[in-house]
Amino acid sequence: MIQVNGDPLAWTPGLTVRGVLQAKKYLFPMLIVTIDDRRVERADYDREPVPDGAVVQVIHLLSGG
Amino acid sequence: MRQLKINLPKCDGGRNCDHECEEACAVKMFKLEDRQGAALHIQELADGQSAAIICDQCGDCVTVCPADALQRNKLGVVMIDKKLCVGCYMCIGFCEKDAFERQPKWLEPYKCTACGICVKACPHAALEIVDVPVPAPRII
Amino acid sequence: MTAPTITPCEVDFTRRTEYHEGLETIRAAHRLLKEFTFTPSLPQKGYNDRTLYVDLTTREVKEKPVTQQMKDLFVGGRGFGLWQLWNAVTPATRWNDPENEIIIAPGPVAGITQYPGSGKSLVVSISPQTDIPIDSNVGGYFGPLLKFSGFDALELQGKSDQDVILFIDGQRGIIRVETAPLEPADSHVLAEILTRMYAEDEADRVNISVVCTGAAAEHSLIGMLNFTWWDKRRGCIRLKQAGRGGIGTVFRDKKIRALVCRGPVIKADMNHPVDFETLARTGIKLHKEIRTQDDLQCKMRRNGTAHIVEIMDAYDLLPVHNFQYGSHPDTHKIASYVWEGRCSQMTSDGCWYGCSMGCAKGADGLVLKTGPYKGHMVTVDGPEYENAAGLGSNGGVFDPDSLLELNFYCDTYGICTITYGTLAAFTMECYQRGILNKERTGGLELTWGNAEADLEMMHQMARGEGFGLIAGRGVKKMKELFIANGWGDPQLINDIGMENKGLEYSQYLSKESLAQQGGYALTNKGPQHDEAWVIFMDMVNKQLPTFEDKAEALYYYPLWRTWFGLMGFCKLPWNDVAPADNSATAEPAKIPEHVQNYLALFTATTGIQIDVETMLMQSARVYNFQRIFNIRMGKGLRANDIPPYRAVGPVTREEYASRAERYDKQMLEEIGVDPAAKPMEEKMAITREYRMDRYSKLCDAVYTRRGWTLDGVPTMARLKELGLDVLPEVVAIVQAHGG
Repeated sequence: MIQVNGDPLAWTPGLTVRGVLQAKKYLFPMLIVTIDDRRVERADYDREPVPDGAVVQVIHLLSGG
Repeated sequence: MRQLKINLPKCDGGRNCDHECEEACAVKMFKLEDRQGAALHIQELADGQSAAIICDQCGDCVTVCPADALQRNKLGVVMIDKKLCVGCYMCIGFCEKDAFERQPKWLEPYKCTACGICVKACPHAALEIVDVPVPAPRII
Repeated sequence: MTAPTITPCEVDFTRRTEYHEGLETIRAAHRLLKEFTFTPSLPQKGYNDRTLYVDLTTREVKEKPVTQQMKDLFVGGRGFGLWQLWNAVTPATRWNDPENEIIIAPGPVAGITQYPGSGKSLVVSISPQTDIPIDSNVGGYFGPLLKFSGFDALELQGKSDQDVILFIDGQRGIIRVETAPLEPADSHVLAEILTRMYAEDEADRVNISVVCTGAAAEHSLIGMLNFTWWDKRRGCIRLKQAGRGGIGTVFRDKKIRALVCRGPVIKADMNHPVDFETLARTGIKLHKEIRTQDDLQCKMRRNGTAHIVEIMDAYDLLPVHNFQYGSHPDTHKIASYVWEGRCSQMTSDGCWYGCSMGCAKGADGLVLKTGPYKGHMVTVDGPEYENAAGLGSNGGVFDPDSLLELNFYCDTYGICTITYGTLAAFTMECYQRGILNKERTGGLELTWGNAEADLEMMHQMARGEGFGLIAGRGVKKMKELFIANGWGDPQLINDIGMENKGLEYSQYLSKESLAQQGGYALTNKGPQHDEAWVIFMDMVNKQLPTFEDKAEALYYYPLWRTWFGLMGFCKLPWNDVAPADNSATAEPAKIPEHVQNYLALFTATTGIQIDVETMLMQSARVYNFQRIFNIRMGKGLRANDIPPYRAVGPVTREEYASRAERYDKQMLEEIGVDPAAKPMEEKMAITREYRMDRYSKLCDAVYTRRGWTLDGVPTMARLKELGLDVLPEVVAIVQAHGG
């Protein structure tokens, strides 16, 4: 089990940042992702693994035109 | 269209010349004080090679200009109509080759017009004016 | 949803139906009523130090000075508008009294050409919908052209006895009030004719901007103002809107047919800024940032603000069926990639020079299927997100062509798309629930997604007949009418009518975000999201867990965003693009480098040093002044800040059931009540009581943070902090209300 923005999410082996974003339907393009307080660059979303038990923050920047 | 082209192996990046191309462009063409303001830039690279910043008349700036101040002339060269230019500098910002220039004393930016003055000045015959097809405009 | 491959739009964007054939006949019918000459000037350090006043009753035209106090307390833009309006009206003034004014004010930085989004104006008036001041933000060229003719604001008072055009010629120094007996009513026709009429030749058209509205503004309270610019590449006029609050209705009540400004040829430095190099460098930096980042981020250049349609759907925030739900299986039919294929891309779509964000996309080549322009080919300005959500999903309309047609007719008829979208959705829900029926609507079958009926309601509004006349009074007055007629349960009607202070909600679901409930209902003008958009911070990021956190956000963001309206800036380039390294900064949501850009642009133009603290002070003066103005007009206290329950929680069983897991979880974990085995009605009542109580506590926290009493009145201490205590009328109101 991992935490994403304080909510639990089921963990599966091979889970990447991209997988987390897809599971949560986080389509918004301007994000700041941290795994256990370590920032992950956008270019690495597809391959950065998310370990079991990780605390993931997906901060959305503001929007609203 | 008319286009300035450089043969980089022939250009030695200014190692054995006085940047006559930039000098001719800046001083003779644009009436500036020194070659820093030239519409082309030749750079000496650490590994012995050279690089050049040159406008290839791609036309991206024609697409972005909100005043339609950039247009191709009969020779296909992209020219600025200073009367229409509103000094927004979107052309400078959107040029991927960094080929636009501006001077603090002028409101309008400027660029290479493929005039050929640098071609004559280069002691290594590294520059030439060529005629190439006009590229299709692209969405930027 | 995965985006399909997009075929770039191949429509010839230079083709459309044209309307200027009868131009000479129309021009020949003008009679000159008044002519006034002036010496055109250009601003110095951003200010002309004079405004233009026109009394439409007496046709008096005069120049008024901009005082140092005006600049110190009100800065420009919205500030100048509110100050002039305050001095023009009394607490008894209604929107259609002659002393009500329409003020158009750009701002000291407006008109620079280097930085994206620098041509905005604020329009201020007493709103027919709310009876308090409305401030409405708008692009287009009118504001900068007015400024470069020589005026920091245009102040219109009185009422003409016949339709007139006010023409300001900033090249020749002439102002004319002319009769306009033959002018057509609707903007896309009128603005094309007037642009060609007042331009001296084809090249001069870019120096002309028209302010006008349309037929529906004469028969409704929801009229808006279009501000034009001449799109050289397309060869047509484009429209931006001062949309909210019904200022177009005031405009037509004053019998103004149009304002036309002819400004001087635009060059880079017409504000005579103190430090042009900083403007140039900062602008170039943003152009490069947009070039490299926009396609990776919000794709504003391709899609405008419509890029967030599918995003809001994914986050359950897209208003569906009058804000009942947050997503719909058909959203993909109106998602951003649909518009990317409909909006021409090889165009230059900034609504003022230098806007490389260029979000004013246009859908060319639409052949209209209904109404007086059926069969005509038009360019539609949009759709913006608000139109796609308001006219689209909120009403259950998922057909792109219908959406474009609804968008187009709102624009040309001169009514606000946000307002119309919400009121139409309200009528449809009333129809769904039997509050309205075919008999009561005069035959309009206002079922979800029935675009034909929706369009017909709009055409009726333009013709001034039928149910369209009722709908055009807006949600608040419809609620009152339906309740008075006994057409439905009053509590239900009040709960589902999405308005506050008389203004309709804009197109985001605040139901699950307590912070955004405050962001909407604690906004001065009414529930428009331009003060605070904190839904992600609150609901998704969970960065605002306490009341104090929420109050801090509802203190800072409204002030920061107010500042744009003092200056002449558009807020979109602030946070719809970010520098590549923004995520590494301490407070990335504020886009700190951009904040510094804006402060630098202000200083570079005016020479006045500013930091974040003094910036907040500039905004806070105007913000608190507006709150006190609301109180003065009878609608600025806590009782006016209460949202309809649809904005706060589930009104109906279906709404509760659609999010039962979320609501049951809140009941168990936050309220401490076990939802199991409780009947639905009881759960709904518990949720309602809890949520309204939380909203009340939010008000307490926000008012306190803003330096207001618990009744929402700015305190004397706050006035003194801001330097507003030098205005005796302002002090009197605060003291009278226990501030």
